[in-house]
Amino acid sequence: MGNSLSHLIIGAGAAGMAAATAIREGDPDAAVRMLSEEDVRPYFRPMIPFIISGKKTPSQVSLAGVGPYADAGIDIRINTRAVKTDPAEKTVTTSNGEVLVYDRLLVATGSSPYIPPDIGGTDMEGVYALRTLAQAQHAAERASWAKSAVMLGGGLLNLKAAFALLEKKIAVTLVVKSPEILSQLMEPRDAAMIRTALMESGLRIITGRGASKIVGGNRGVCAVFLDDGTELAGDMVFIGKGVRPNTAFLSSTGLDVKKGVPVNVHTETAIPGIFAAGDTAVTFDPVTGESIVTGLWTNAVEMGRCAGKNMAGIKSAYTGTFGVMNATQVAGLPFVSMGIVHPDKNACEVHTASSSDSYLKLVFSQEGDRLLGLVMIGRIEKAGLYRYIIRERRDISPLKDKIIRQRLHAGDLAFGRH
Amino acid sequence: MNQVKEIFIIQDRCMGCHTCELSCAVVHSRSGNLYEAMAEHPRPVPRIYVEALSSGKPVPLVCRHCADAPCMHACIAGAIRKTPEQTIVTDPDKCIGCWTCVMVCPYGMVGRHPEEQKAYRCDRCPAIGEPACVSSCPTRALVYRSVDDYSKNRRQTAARELSSGEGG
Repeated sequence: MGNSLSHLIIGAGAAGMAAATAIREGDPDAAVRMLSEEDVRPYFRPMIPFIISGKKTPSQVSLAGVGPYADAGIDIRINTRAVKTDPAEKTVTTSNGEVLVYDRLLVATGSSPYIPPDIGGTDMEGVYALRTLAQAQHAAERASWAKSAVMLGGGLLNLKAAFALLEKKIAVTLVVKSPEILSQLMEPRDAAMIRTALMESGLRIITGRGASKIVGGNRGVCAVFLDDGTELAGDMVFIGKGVRPNTAFLSSTGLDVKKGVPVNVHTETAIPGIFAAGDTAVTFDPVTGESIVTGLWTNAVEMGRCAGKNMAGIKSAYTGTFGVMNATQVAGLPFVSMGIVHPDKNACEVHTASSSDSYLKLVFSQEGDRLLGLVMIGRIEKAGLYRYIIRERRDISPLKDKIIRQRLHAGDLAFGRH
Repeated sequence: MNQVKEIFIIQDRCMGCHTCELSCAVVHSRSGNLYEAMAEHPRPVPRIYVEALSSGKPVPLVCRHCADAPCMHACIAGAIRKTPEQTIVTDPDKCIGCWTCVMVCPYGMVGRHPEEQKAYRCDRCPAIGEPACVSSCPTRALVYRSVDDYSKNRRQTAARELSSGEGG
């Protein structure tokens, strides 16, 4: 077409690949180049715990051409990092010294694990802040002889990694500084059923304690000392303390990127032609109105697709996401958490219900006419329908009884007046 | 051009007999017949759901196979794809049972199989031409047509009703 634009995407994770696919769909003739600092082709990052358990091989988690993702016509350069961006010249300098020219630039550099600086010995062999396929492969090798592991942090990543290790017959202790596991996704009392299931699956859980020091010998790490002096044996240590956006290479652009890259509703930064999406971008929560950065694959894809459409000239708006949103299954228990799940009891109406195999928490507005958040454990059917009514801030008064009884269905929204 | 067909719901024709659910579960069972399906493990499950509105009236609900399907984009395992026939399908071998699709489907139409621990949904019965729910519905509350064909038919029906004074 001659007038097609040249697109450069920094980062080949969820946001980058979703954007590349959306650009391909919107403008079949555009040049799409991607840079990845990793040494492998793009892959489904959330799948890497399965590399440790051996349930999946690296080729089975490969991304390009799988599911909705495009493969053909995208130039992916691995082992290549962006070191400098010059918005005036519209160029990006790579770690190979190459200067790449772009018409549209997407910053999809993702995030890096947060390593608490007050824990000694985190750079030791066998200590992982699990992020990459290469790290998972290394961990899988170590898991072939390791007898024990210590997980620092009680979030989903560590729980998934813990189960991968339990499957390898490794004794696993989960150490959580908060009073309870999954503290980002629910309140302590919401987590009781999951905690019981985890312990019944053989996971040892220590709450209210942090690590002070990681120690080892010539085979790498062998133990962790907690802040109360307890020593835990650990041939492997996993640090799961959240992530921070990767924005250092943008320092030359003049953008304020201390807490991530701010973007507008079209995922464009303050510099026209430069977009940002995924873990590295600042988005907003439609329920709380707050600016947030999230580390969720699903959010990154949604935002990346929006960015890709806009880059290809198809005006598209990103409707934001919840600061809290995740689903998974651990120890045989499925659960979903979304929206406001740590409510101010004086400013919200909270309903809980539990049975032997399920738990439900619903957080409504003070007036009781809006659903703001929920935790579903055991029974998670139709969770996406609830996500929809939370996000759209629908007046749910006529349907409240059905919501509380977990009986809401799409027909109530589509044919509700009949 | 052979246009893609969809399952349309004519809500006021549904009398809540649940025949669509039964025939769906059977056609997706291993044996493919009701008597053997009842004893099968994993248990055959329907991918269409007859629910009750607040008024008590029944309504059948089924996957819309969205053009820009949120479940497909959200999947962290690459298990969901769109076929050339524009059907959204979940590959059970790739599904890891993380329920991200359940979390994002705005219609609540992705099921969670209790025994297999895999997500499942309507596949529009690609092997038998017309979906089993549609062909089994005794009141034709479900129709399988292209969007153009269906809307033309609805327009003609409305015009007939208006001209004969039934619609007012």
